Amino acid sequence: MAPPMIDPSLFDQLKAKIEEDTSVRKELDQILDDLNEHVSFTQGVLSRIHATPRSKYAALLEQVEGGIRKEIETVGRLATFASQYPYYKYNYKWTRTVQDAISTVILCAWLGGMSSETKPGEVGRLLTLEDMGELFGVPVNLKDRDAFHITIEEYLLGLISVIDELGRLSVNSVTLGDNAMAVQISGFIKDLHAGFQVLNLKNDTLRKRVDSIKYAVKKVEDVVYDLSLRNLIPPQEDK
Amino acid sequence: MSGLKRDWTGSAKQRDGPKPVQKQVARNAYTPMFEQLRNELDEHHDRRERIVKASRDITGLAKKIIFSLQRVRRIEGQLPANIQAEVDSRLAEIAKLLATLAPEIQGINRYRYARSLMCLEELVEALTFAHYLKTQTLIGYEQLSRVVEDLARQAAAPPAPAPGTEDEVMTDVRDTPAASPPEKPTQPAAQTPSSTPTISLTQDDYLYGVFDLTGEMMRFATTSTALTGTMAGGGGEGDGGEDDDPRTIVQDMHELGSFFEMLPVAPGNRFAWEKKLTVTRQSVQKVERLGYDRIIRGSERPKGWIPDLAAGERGQAEELE
Repeated sequence: MAPPMIDPSLFDQLKAKIEEDTSVRKELDQILDDLNEHVSFTQGVLSRIHATPRSKYAALLEQVEGGIRKEIETVGRLATFASQYPYYKYNYKWTRTVQDAISTVILCAWLGGMSSETKPGEVGRLLTLEDMGELFGVPVNLKDRDAFHITIEEYLLGLISVIDELGRLSVNSVTLGDNAMAVQISGFIKDLHAGFQVLNLKNDTLRKRVDSIKYAVKKVEDVVYDLSLRNLIPPQEDK
Repeated sequence: MSGLKRDWTGSAKQRDGPKPVQKQVARNAYTPMFEQLRNELDEHHDRRERIVKASRDITGLAKKIIFSLQRVRRIEGQLPANIQAEVDSRLAEIAKLLATLAPEIQGINRYRYARSLMCLEELVEALTFAHYLKTQTLIGYEQLSRVVEDLARQAAAPPAPAPGTEDEVMTDVRDTPAASPPEKPTQPAAQTPSSTPTISLTQDDYLYGVFDLTGEMMRFATTSTALTGTMAGGGGEGDGGEDDDPRTIVQDMHELGSFFEMLPVAPGNRFAWEKKLTVTRQSVQKVERLGYDRIIRGSERPKGWIPDLAAGERGQAEELE
């Protein structure tokens, strides 16, 4: 008797694998629902900086940090769960959310939040990829083993969102009478723009987002131009 | 004189002068950070580029194997010698490419570049098709995975492989499954150091490759039926020729079709899965139709029933048999 076309055990084996894959995704979705909720809350709180004078940042940032603590906790859960599986198999599911979480942390720190014992919070502080790993308690740019981590792309894309947000803030800070803030943002964004130009980009998401930085640069330059035209730029004490 | 460039005052500009010094990007506090990230990203882009190139070559070779296999006319234990030789030489080339690819896609990088490794699907298609033509069975995921791993390893091993090693990979595919399958592939693996990086097949590579196999089986069924006048299938060498009803490719296609219908949709890319399933359904129906045609006017008609139509065709078919 000739052997059957398909070994019956093959079907069961493949079916079991597909079902396992599906249940992993379901579990991930649940964790990501939580993370999304925390991230969008934090983003919502952060959006109030556009209507908050600098003197009242402290109270606002405290609230933001509360949201960030929840983000960190949820990312921890995600890291524990996702590290059991090949990282890049499921990375696409959370990369957007993690980028947004990163951007809330970078923005909060830039505005003077996220102070730690070693690094006091001050306006204009940029957290690096390594800082990000420390804060979230996960590795970054992992290459030698297969586990959850924050990638370079995620950090850079998060940073670009911050640049957009600061572009908007430069306008609103002037409205609130804080011209010095607009000037500081201008310097920061121009420096980052120069930094992004150092990268060799391929035609991918990152390149498209990097291309958008120039609009933020133009926006802040226009603001600074308006200020200088009217002699509204405050004299710089330092330097 | 042509090609003089002038500046705005009208005086000729000097050509081929010393190139202007490349403008130094203004450095600032963040430049070192970006330079470090650039190096990391470059490494990733370069690696992907290498993978894409090798992948394209492997895909081409696998397609050539499939074309060679489409010249086979019947299912039997051994491929015709000339076709086997073509397949072997292509496989040897693929093995070399796989060996260069293997170190790039170890560990975390296996899934990172999964989308650049479409060649593996194509390779699965070629290998499963070869296996089918020899044994009339579908090779299992794990068995095939070992075949691919051995292919990658065999070319990577620097010492000259023992004579016949290359053939052994093909014997995995060539062997009649009557011999117990699990023990065969272990031998080449034992000869090479286990530390040699190799390439693992993902389940998706396998499943999508088998989806494509149905298309090849359909083409094979069509040409072999048209040219030999018989439905490809059992009764070939080795296996139960005495069976009153040897299995034909029509039944195999039905079984393969139901196999995919019964499997839950793989959650990775539902759209691709549905599309492949649609194509598979069409292939199954085309082969079904072939089976019907052959029953209605085929040469193996029931005794005593002589169709008036297609009499000429029948004569030709009998000659070929």
